[in-house]
Amino acid sequence: MQIKPFGDSAILIAFEQEISLEINAKVNALHQAILKANLKGINTCIPAYASLTVLYNPLKISYSELSEKILNLDFSEEKTKNDLKTLRIPVCYEMPFALDLETLAQEKAISTEKIIEVHSSTVYQVFMLGFLPGFAYLGKLPEILNSSRKAKPRLKVPQGSVGLAGYQTGIYPCESPGGWQIIGRTPVPVFDRARENPFLFKQGEQVQFKPINLEEFYILEEKIKQGTFKIESLYA
Amino acid sequence: MLKKHIRIFFEKAGLETTVQDLGRSDYLAYGVPQSGAMDKFAYRIANHLLDNPINTPVLEITYLAPNILIEGDCQIALTGANLSPKLNGKTLPMYEAVNIQESAKLSFGNIQNGCRTYLAIRGNWLLEQHLGSCSTLNNSKLGKAIQKGDELFVEPFARIPKRIFPKKFRPTYPEEVNIRVLPAPEFEDFDKQSIGFFFSQTYTISKESNRIGYRLQEVLPNFSPQTELISSATLPGTIQITSAGQAIVLLADAQTTGGYPRIAQVITADLDKFAQLKPNDKIRFQLVTWEEARRILSKKMSVLAFNLA
Repeated sequence: MQIKPFGDSAILIAFEQEISLEINAKVNALHQAILKANLKGINTCIPAYASLTVLYNPLKISYSELSEKILNLDFSEEKTKNDLKTLRIPVCYEMPFALDLETLAQEKAISTEKIIEVHSSTVYQVFMLGFLPGFAYLGKLPEILNSSRKAKPRLKVPQGSVGLAGYQTGIYPCESPGGWQIIGRTPVPVFDRARENPFLFKQGEQVQFKPINLEEFYILEEKIKQGTFKIESLYA
Repeated sequence: MLKKHIRIFFEKAGLETTVQDLGRSDYLAYGVPQSGAMDKFAYRIANHLLDNPINTPVLEITYLAPNILIEGDCQIALTGANLSPKLNGKTLPMYEAVNIQESAKLSFGNIQNGCRTYLAIRGNWLLEQHLGSCSTLNNSKLGKAIQKGDELFVEPFARIPKRIFPKKFRPTYPEEVNIRVLPAPEFEDFDKQSIGFFFSQTYTISKESNRIGYRLQEVLPNFSPQTELISSATLPGTIQITSAGQAIVLLADAQTTGGYPRIAQVITADLDKFAQLKPNDKIRFQLVTWEEARRILSKKMSVLAFNLA
């Protein structure tokens, strides 16, 4: 664990720089410990794969005082796994949603069914949120699904698109430019400012995808529009 | 009794006119940018001149200004960039509360200095908050970006005696500025040559500059990026270096994480300066210590505290 200055009102705590469940769990544990310690002058934290950035008010606490306090925190006892049940997100891996599935299967010389099977049977962890409000970086993808980003990013990736990039998978919270390989779409909004909890994902949470067909997609989409769909029903 | 609302009607939208307040900092862990007024100093003064509560929305007007029709008795104040504001065709003084009787047309002319003007109106803005703020973030449908024909409503408060912000404390927005910075997490990873260039170069603000960030024209010579970084937090004021050696200064609407090395971080007190820079303006970076940055911030806040008390 290494503490680095990050301007006049932030501190970065860097762990070993690798994408792994263990390192990410440490980030989460330190985040919990900092929240619990309720240190004066701290505004908020930004957890990432292998680092935690702590924002503070320099008029209330100094860099040296805060870094010392953080170094002295014992977070080994913090729970590193979330108590929450696994979130199961319905995804339709068919056209017109699975924009890159066919090409990807050809490139990898495997069937589209195999991609869907592997993608939906893996349990992922939310490593961090970023890029767009509510966008979760989920990992790690099994080696067989490791995919490079598209050479030419799309100018418009539709909301709800499920994509692959490197060892990560994720869902676009809104229409946005993007270079991930799109293999399906979910009708469930991952960010909805009107919802009591606008964010579907939380760092540290477990996530799995559940394949649905086109008909199920549209039925679910209609239910969401009508307001009769309950987010709680996604927790197994 | 129903009070008559002030109506703000946009006959012309301007280049980028948005509703802004202090922004949202509680959702950074969920990927939501801070947003908020780019020049918080000018923002605070504008609302203070009208004795509005902290965090009252204002209109942030960028470079090419809108034409606005204001209907209803009210008090308004303009701060920030001087875009030659006119009220019913007559020069409108900035940095002071101005009374409007019945209705008035607000228009703008030549750009005298700066880039962003703040229009405050005394009263309660009838706007919905999204994630605790009225600030605009276009791509995520948060807040409100103004379009031609839009109208906003403000519930007026009782008139207050005129307030003026002292001339000697008003910023002047030169086209060449010194930006003070502190090290960011990857500062030590840059070689001496790159660091030397970064601090000796006079950088030019490029056309690719907006509320998300400002790209600087000059690139680090012979820059060879290290292996790809694992994504980590970025903040307003973070200066990233792309693999091509280009510096990007991230600002209010920037995403909360990124993968480029972070060379330096603009001190909090100097962030407002960026709001008033426009393409082709020049900047130089100067390294200061944490203690200096804190002292500069404290001094700036005391100007506000003293004159806004």
